Amino acid sequence: MENQKSSVMVIGGGIAGIQASLDLADMGVKVHLVEKQPGIGGHMAQLDKTFPTNDCAICILAPKMADCFGHPNINVMTYSEVKSVNGEAGDFNAVVTKKARYVKEEECTGCGECVEKCPTRIPDEFNMGLSNRKAIYLYFLQSVPRVVTIDRDNCLKLTRDRCGICQQVCDKDAIDYEQQDQDIQLNVGAIILATGFSLVDALPLQRYGYSKIQNVITSLEYERLSCASGPTGGHLERPSDHKTAKRLAFIQCVGSRDTRRSRYCSSVCCMHSTKEAILASEHEPGTQSFIFYTDLRASGKGFQEYIKRAQDEYGATYIKGRVGEINENWSGDPVVWYEDTEADEVKRMTVDLAILAPSLTPVRGSTELAQLLNIELDEYGFFKTDPYFSVETTRKGIFACGYCRDPMDIPESVTSASSAAARAMSVISNQ
Amino acid sequence: MTNESSTQQRSFTDLERDIISAGLCSQCGGCVSFCSANKLGALEISPDGTPRYSDEEKCLKCGLCYSICTQVNELDQELQEKFNWVPPMGRYERVTSARTTNHDIRSICTDGGVVTSLLVYMLDYNLIDGAVVSRFVGPFNRVPMIATDRADVLSSAGSDFSASTHVGVVGDEYSTYSPGAFALKDLTSSMRPARVALVGTPCQVHTIRKMQCLNIVPSDMVKYTIGLFCMENFAFPALAKREIEAKIGAGMDEIKKLNIKEELIVTLTNGESVHVPFDVVHEFARPACLKCTEFANDFADISAGGLGSPDGYTTVLIRTDAGQRIYQAALKLGYIEEQTYDSYREKADGQMGMVTKIIDFARQKADRSMGP
Repeated sequence: MENQKSSVMVIGGGIAGIQASLDLADMGVKVHLVEKQPGIGGHMAQLDKTFPTNDCAICILAPKMADCFGHPNINVMTYSEVKSVNGEAGDFNAVVTKKARYVKEEECTGCGECVEKCPTRIPDEFNMGLSNRKAIYLYFLQSVPRVVTIDRDNCLKLTRDRCGICQQVCDKDAIDYEQQDQDIQLNVGAIILATGFSLVDALPLQRYGYSKIQNVITSLEYERLSCASGPTGGHLERPSDHKTAKRLAFIQCVGSRDTRRSRYCSSVCCMHSTKEAILASEHEPGTQSFIFYTDLRASGKGFQEYIKRAQDEYGATYIKGRVGEINENWSGDPVVWYEDTEADEVKRMTVDLAILAPSLTPVRGSTELAQLLNIELDEYGFFKTDPYFSVETTRKGIFACGYCRDPMDIPESVTSASSAAARAMSVISNQ
Repeated sequence: MTNESSTQQRSFTDLERDIISAGLCSQCGGCVSFCSANKLGALEISPDGTPRYSDEEKCLKCGLCYSICTQVNELDQELQEKFNWVPPMGRYERVTSARTTNHDIRSICTDGGVVTSLLVYMLDYNLIDGAVVSRFVGPFNRVPMIATDRADVLSSAGSDFSASTHVGVVGDEYSTYSPGAFALKDLTSSMRPARVALVGTPCQVHTIRKMQCLNIVPSDMVKYTIGLFCMENFAFPALAKREIEAKIGAGMDEIKKLNIKEELIVTLTNGESVHVPFDVVHEFARPACLKCTEFANDFADISAGGLGSPDGYTTVLIRTDAGQRIYQAALKLGYIEEQTYDSYREKADGQMGMVTKIIDFARQKADRSMGP
């Protein structure tokens, strides 16, 4: 390991982690990018478009993913998690566990023959369970590295000693059922956290019938439905009967700004729901969207204009009022009960599809990661940072950027990632 | 999780030896539907209804055909745990007696037309893309098919829903059975699989449920299973036709429909009906049926049959949440109606009567499987 101390470990391969890695690598710093999923891209890869410009999310992200993977200074470690970190700023010793893929990465060409012949069908988490994948799978269409992974919990060979078809059909002999998890030692000068968010746990969602009423979905499921490479090819087919949804209710603040769960504002939901209403109308002219909001927060550049366009050009109606309950009629339509605070009345509305904007919480596992890194969390579980040097955590040499630090949208995540890269640079160049 | 028999990998050759050659194949079509749906293409159904190699070279010896075979007990314990199974007829949430509200269905159905109506409801409301049923293609001839609209479903309505009731001509053999699970092989798609309801006998539902335990194709498409009560299916060579005609006292081509109640009820084209005790026809039952222990289709979402209900009504056992959902919706939306009772007491007695009869038949079938 040459230039050991002038290297940086970035934890999390979403847009923030990718940006921080690229910035550092371009400045000549060796970067180890650790991602727990089988491919990099993070949540941005799941989005259809980005607000307020309606640019295709993957079209912006995929070139950055490819740059990152091909960069001579970046060592992309997918399907890997940090196991321990010791040392101090300028000289951290980290152990990263590389989970067994049961596929020899250097042999796999990503041809997909094994995927084709795998008999197992399980919900595809990348598509938010709206479609199925195989037990051996490519994480998503544009995924890098283009290497398949065996899901050890669902592979019949690994769980029951049955099947073994993938090994039989692989021309490259790349399948290795005996592969073991592997611990890799890294010595780095600084660490950047870019672990992102998770959707709030099921409870606040269930209050609105989620998981019981098929046509109540989350906004991330909606993103997959409206995405051209998603499970419906971009057609807004509702789950229960695959009919095109033309009357939509967007329920804001599900779990957020709520004393029972997350008291903070998730900050991106007013805008992504507006974007989703616009997209629905673009896909299917005549679609009506009703956005039930607490306060409309449109404080970014061009955001207020975006909302105005949604109202004037795309048939979006904003209703100030919290939704109390959603139930279902016998045709499977969600019935939304809400208080219209302007009319001072309790009303109900029947829609084709209800889309919940769940509170976005620090990624699951943040507490354990903070313990392992010996850094503090704030009252909501985000990595605690300095008020004036907003990417610095409570431990010298460890920085945080993107949603794991504070609720923020994509442009802000990218900005904070560059900021973290610059601060990390200052630590390692002092060595 | 691993089953006791997981020590060695099996293949279809083992299935041939252990099950098919031993005359135990129930011809549910499960193994062939899996092999075809996964595009392995090593198996096919032979003219006598049993599976065979179509191209042994293509067999990858994955052994899954063995694991999912209805007649192999691998996965049975897991299945029983998953469904909280209890003897003798499995878990159920509710038992009712109901009938269709549709006159077209009522005129052709075996009992109350509930199964047909549930399928029509699911297709009308687009909850499924198709239903696997068996279709009447001529006197005593049924083939599995995928019904994708109301007309298809109606063409399949009638006695086949008490599956032990249809005589099909397959080659030179007569069979009351059609390998429903086999039809599924035609429906595969990569991104969003077709959503299917399967109407079948216990063995057909059983193989699908075993596939669902393993999460393998094509069982991912089967969103709802409607199981038929089943004592046995009949299969006999053409030569025995005359003998059977003598036993039921009518010519085969005079039979309009067959109905299972406490006895086999043969309705003739002239409107008469003949009651034949089961023991008279048992000798023509398929050997696999005589080894089968399951009468009440214990693992289906909804089980249905004529047993226990008055004429014109179907006895319905609602077993799962999915079953509850479609039954309740079909009821609320007016596709079916329940039998009315004068008092709560009468209703309770009626339900008790149905359950008692089903238990009685389930015990008889289980006892029979133990051999004489």
